[in-house]
Amino acid sequence: MLVHLQGPWTPLLGRLTLQQIPFHVPILVVTFIVVAILAAMVLAATTYFGKWGYLWREWLTTVDHKKIGVMYILLGLVMLLRGFADALMIRTQQAMAVGPGSPGEMGAVHGYLTPFHLGQIFTAHGLIMVVFAATPLLVGLMNIIVPLQIGARDMAYPYLNALGLWLTTAGAALVMMSLFVGNFAHGGWYGFVPYFELPYSPGVGVDYWMWTFQLSAIGTSLGSINLIATIVKMRAPGMTWMRMPMFTWASLSTNLIALTSFPVLMVALALLGLDRYVGTHFYTAGMGGNLMLYNDLFWVWGHPEVYFLILPAFGIMSEIIPTFSEKTLFGYVTMVIASFAIGGVSWGVWLHHFFTMAAAPSVNSFYSVTTMLVGIPTGVKVFNWVFTMYRGRVRYELPMLWALLALFLLLVGGMTGMMNAFASNDYMWHNGLFVVAHFHMMVLVIAASIFGAVEYWFPKVFGFKLEQKWGKWFFWFMIIGTGWTFVPMFFLGFAGMTRRLDYIPYTQWSPYLHIMLVGMVFYVVAVLFFVAHLYVSLRDRVKNRVGADAWGTGRSLEWMTHSPVPAYNYAFIPHVNVLDEWAWRKENGLTELHPGDYEGIHMPKNTGVPLFLGMLFMGLGFALIWRIWWLALLCVALIVALIIIRSFDRDTDMTIPAHTVEQVESGARDETSVAMPTAGVRGGTVIAHSILQSGTSGISGSTTSTSPSLAPMDR
Amino acid sequence: MTEHMQDPLNHPEVQLANGRAYLASFIISMLLMTVGLWLAVTHITTPLGTVLMISFLAGVAVIIQGYFILHMDISHAQVWHTVAMVLFLPLFVVTIGLTAWMFHGLYQRTMIMPPAASSMAHMSPMSH
Repeated sequence: MLVHLQGPWTPLLGRLTLQQIPFHVPILVVTFIVVAILAAMVLAATTYFGKWGYLWREWLTTVDHKKIGVMYILLGLVMLLRGFADALMIRTQQAMAVGPGSPGEMGAVHGYLTPFHLGQIFTAHGLIMVVFAATPLLVGLMNIIVPLQIGARDMAYPYLNALGLWLTTAGAALVMMSLFVGNFAHGGWYGFVPYFELPYSPGVGVDYWMWTFQLSAIGTSLGSINLIATIVKMRAPGMTWMRMPMFTWASLSTNLIALTSFPVLMVALALLGLDRYVGTHFYTAGMGGNLMLYNDLFWVWGHPEVYFLILPAFGIMSEIIPTFSEKTLFGYVTMVIASFAIGGVSWGVWLHHFFTMAAAPSVNSFYSVTTMLVGIPTGVKVFNWVFTMYRGRVRYELPMLWALLALFLLLVGGMTGMMNAFASNDYMWHNGLFVVAHFHMMVLVIAASIFGAVEYWFPKVFGFKLEQKWGKWFFWFMIIGTGWTFVPMFFLGFAGMTRRLDYIPYTQWSPYLHIMLVGMVFYVVAVLFFVAHLYVSLRDRVKNRVGADAWGTGRSLEWMTHSPVPAYNYAFIPHVNVLDEWAWRKENGLTELHPGDYEGIHMPKNTGVPLFLGMLFMGLGFALIWRIWWLALLCVALIVALIIIRSFDRDTDMTIPAHTVEQVESGARDETSVAMPTAGVRGGTVIAHSILQSGTSGISGSTTSTSPSLAPMDR
Repeated sequence: MTEHMQDPLNHPEVQLANGRAYLASFIISMLLMTVGLWLAVTHITTPLGTVLMISFLAGVAVIIQGYFILHMDISHAQVWHTVAMVLFLPLFVVTIGLTAWMFHGLYQRTMIMPPAASSMAHMSPMSH
């Protein structure tokens, strides 16, 4: 051992002992029982319905970008729920533990959570929401939509794509595991040095935090390489840069940010790892170390990261708003420039995360100015969206409602962000709830965009629309919950309340904290409405079946292919003639072009290697957290061996034969012609859609059912 | 789709693999690092001189590795990589430069040391 470890260590189990299982925390015991029952039910149901083979063939081993995207989104939703549960506990604790007379339960002096437990909860809440909820949700959306929008059949590196998914999943699984084995970091999601150094945080919590963070960073970097390569190299013929849909542009900008910033995070965490495992002194106060180095490195990643999250959200809004305004996006070129301006300026603003940490006034002024500069391209975007709606035929369907909510929250979050840009203000309210309320407004912009995107692109992926009634209840309760939770938070910020308190000494803050709790109740009801929304949609899926152009006014290329999208996306790679190709084709009556003879399509084969690599990386993370060296070495050896074995596998591709393509194509067309989209479009516009009447397809007209493995995604 | 069906060994990137170049780059890098270590251990020049010389050696190592290992040159197959690298240089300069600027001001405020102990104290006349 190069470092002094507190507590026992054995060669076989490392630091793992029975005392590390939190039997004494009733909340965790109950959580474990519920999770175990749910897991048993899922496993039993999978076995009972005989779906293991299907699960393995179609999902776990897939390299299909759409299915990987769906799995990313499922992971994101599960982790979003976990992060929400954390938020619920923080709000409850803070509403209970006000004033010296407040009662204490379950070992806590005030409220029901001990400071150590609450610390873990807010750390997990931050980390999960940023890197295990928002990031997978957005990466999943980009995964599904970007190849469709540029007319590609898959990502540039399908195998790498699956690997990114399983590495991220491994990280998420380790976060969940920390609930029941050991504990999680308790000092805040972005970490503090020297507090996170081994002598001051001797437990495994910081190691859990560090390695899960690291795994997700690796996964996201791999994903960003893949998306950049896809966008640069795999666009359909005719799709010049200035014909790319806005969401693809936003994805390109955001992934450039990811590619350049995530490595910095990996270095920052690796140096902390060296300090904790090898005994170096990168971040210590003495021995040549430097505390500020950690803050600097972390936020060199951290601020570009928030633009990594917000740019896809902007891209989503730029897709939804034109579709439901029935107009082309206003100011396309300025939108492109603004996306890259935000990406570019994101590299020069990170110091505003530590304005109050003794930087020189000239430095603070510089970063104040750069931070305010962000407002310019963002303002351009806001005006472009508003002008897109101006004199358009705006339809308030669910995706549009979410986009409008995102637009409104962006104004609130953006304006308060400008207030935070003043370094002088930060001396008043740094580390306070005003900042917390501000960035929650911004992440709610992201959340609203994501829900809008899910509503918007769901029919493209699954072939049926989500129903509207429960979705609208969900939408309105999310708004009410947001208002009741975050307006009081702004007030508390002005009142001077700091973040992460486990006990609030001032009873005059109590009303605000209780109002916030009411907001949380609205959020809980909203979650129930969301579940009802999904359930009713799945139940009524036949009724809500739609064709290729699900909303009737889609503009970009993805609305051209069938809904759900076949495994190969496009039977023929389309030639792109203009920006908003699909809208152009509809205007010119070119929607019903179907080729006479199909060709075989060359596609990558499924492989289980990424899943096994993900599992091994999870094992490696677990071994490193608990310092079980033999297990760590074993996992590394197996990872290297598996990568070498895979690199000698030449049988990684297959060709979908032409007659299968023909079957799938004619089958998909016949099916959609039965259930045409009901007239969701008002205002008397002339809308062409891609539905063919059966029998006019020009090809043999066979209506045989499609083979399961190549058919559009299971519905 | 034909390009996918080729033998991966025929890719220009793979064809550029060259054992002798890898070995040369490895040996040169090791030499440069040894010189850097020697400079740091022996204190043969002033602290500022050491920083500058080690930075110079690191720059040489980056160029050598970029050329020999990553094959960054201006040939048709590889110019893409070189352009990407050049585009990232400003980013590198901005990040390191702004960080250095921050630390420069920070040390004046927080790291009050006897002059002999701090190399930064020599570099920066107290302005502001």
